[in-house]
Amino acid sequence: MHPVIIVFLALLLIFGIIYPGRFFSAINFKAILRQFVTLTLFALGPTFVVVTGRLDLSYIGVWMLGGVLVWLFKPILGMLSIIMIPITGIATGLFIGVVQTKAKIPSFILTLSLLVTYTGLTALLAGGYPRAVDGYEFITTSLIPLIPTAFLLSIPIITAAVFLMKCTRICVYLNAIGSNEEGARLAGINVDKYKILAFLLSGVFTGIGAIILFQHLGGSAQVQLKLDSIVWPLVAIVLGGTPLTGGSGGPQRTLLGAITFTIFYRGLYLSSLHPTMVTLLVGIVLIVSIIVSARGLKGVTVT
Amino acid sequence: MMREKLNAKSGLSLELLRRNMNTVGPIIFVIAVVAIFQIINPFFLSYHGIITLVYAMSYFLIAACGLTFVIMTGSFDFSVPSMLKLSALICVLYIEKIGLLVIPMALIVCLGFGFINGVFLAKFKVPSFLATLGISIVLEGIAWYLSKGHLEIMQDETFRSLATTFIGGFPSIFYWGMGVWIICTFLALATAFGRRTYAVGGNLEGAGLSDINIIWHRIKVFMLCGFLSGLAGVLYMSQMGGGSVKIGADMAIPLFASVVAGGTALTGGMGGPHRTLMGVIIITWIQAGMAMLAIGNDVQMLTFGLIAIGMSIATVDRKRIKIVK
Repeated sequence: MHPVIIVFLALLLIFGIIYPGRFFSAINFKAILRQFVTLTLFALGPTFVVVTGRLDLSYIGVWMLGGVLVWLFKPILGMLSIIMIPITGIATGLFIGVVQTKAKIPSFILTLSLLVTYTGLTALLAGGYPRAVDGYEFITTSLIPLIPTAFLLSIPIITAAVFLMKCTRICVYLNAIGSNEEGARLAGINVDKYKILAFLLSGVFTGIGAIILFQHLGGSAQVQLKLDSIVWPLVAIVLGGTPLTGGSGGPQRTLLGAITFTIFYRGLYLSSLHPTMVTLLVGIVLIVSIIVSARGLKGVTVT
Repeated sequence: MMREKLNAKSGLSLELLRRNMNTVGPIIFVIAVVAIFQIINPFFLSYHGIITLVYAMSYFLIAACGLTFVIMTGSFDFSVPSMLKLSALICVLYIEKIGLLVIPMALIVCLGFGFINGVFLAKFKVPSFLATLGISIVLEGIAWYLSKGHLEIMQDETFRSLATTFIGGFPSIFYWGMGVWIICTFLALATAFGRRTYAVGGNLEGAGLSDINIIWHRIKVFMLCGFLSGLAGVLYMSQMGGGSVKIGADMAIPLFASVVAGGTALTGGMGGPHRTLMGVIIITWIQAGMAMLAIGNDVQMLTFGLIAIGMSIATVDRKRIKIVK
């Protein structure tokens, strides 16, 4: 059994004992699901990249730039303008993949620079204000009480990601690249192609997820970049058990990480801790989970 | 005949230019930046304009020198802006209680966090980018906790005069920046520490085999980076005379861009603090020049993001490295 399952059950037990009435209430259940959806949809795509030992931090950028493009193209394309979000995602994934593979730039700095570029571009296009977009409320209208529609919509996306990772040979290839790239090349795998594919998949899943998130997170184009929103999906990925050095794990693990982190965060949220202390604890959780996931690595050069 | 000779000559000079692109490129870039801003804004190179530029680049140069050492070893330190922020806030919050002792206190705190960064990377094998990202969130939390989000004003005149006394027409922070830059250049080019840093960045395993204690050396490099970030924070507070937790926001990418724009490749083992001066001039002068023209933060972020991507593509030596993660 994976250790994070024990952590998950332990957290449920601890918070259930500390706040008996509040933690297992209907409102908290709904809040947990809402936050779980947000975290999962952002973290699902980058997981494919992390399996190959690389990082993709552009997810927030896709969501922001896509949102503002929807606002921009609404008068021209009407309701169809929502496709700007997946287009942004796919274009971003392809661009990062090709540049990272061919120009050999460390992926984290490439995607981070791209994220900052996107933020600047978003603020420039939106004129510096968040822009509300009407007409997409149907995406998140409540169908079943207590369960957010965004959660229902995310189920096919999650299923597709897990299916790709579990039932196709992409899984084998990406894991091979992550654990030993030179070996994968010698084994006849077209390494460059699958690296680009990993980034492309990341862009596709982030792009499709961002459609739901766009409405889920308020239905407006955001222009502010927060460090928290970059880090939380990373915590979900690492906490779930996909090591940052690559070679194992996958979207199914990210689900576990996302739900565990959500429970952890909601538990702290209900406590009387100051919000800054919560931020601090999240940073510590990130570092500890990376250390735990990197255990047993010998002979791997880490920069 | 004549033509052939001319061709040969121009070919030679082009070859020379290409070989020294890492040195010549940034200088051409600086000249272009200065020329463009001077044409748009005639006050760019006036005395007051130059003082603004000096103020903009000095503390930045100190922080960038620290980051250069880390990038020379092939790692990355995301927490430089957060350490700068924490050190500046420590200065302003505790100056009334313990006086000028805040300076060593701030420096030691940043040195300690640099040590933690180094230990996470070298001992626990956490990729430096994520270790420092985690630490910078922790630092962010501490900074919020200490300052409660208020805007703090520095009242102490002695502390303020550290960076704002005018000597020979320039504020003293300029001499601080230049002094640190010269020391760092000396450290990188003329001492065993510097040569070991290049060795660790060039080939980690080879450096380990040639009797360099790589674990301890990587920790030392991160400690140096933390110390210099702390110093930059102290001087920043002395120059600005106040601030809140917003200090150093959006600074990570410009800092990184200034290091690579100077010609230090991300893959490590080349470049050095002596090159970073040009990169810092490029970035901070673009920043200051845009601010003088009232161009907003969004365009600046866009520019620095593109410069960071472009310069990383330009500086990476693709022949030497096989696998990049």
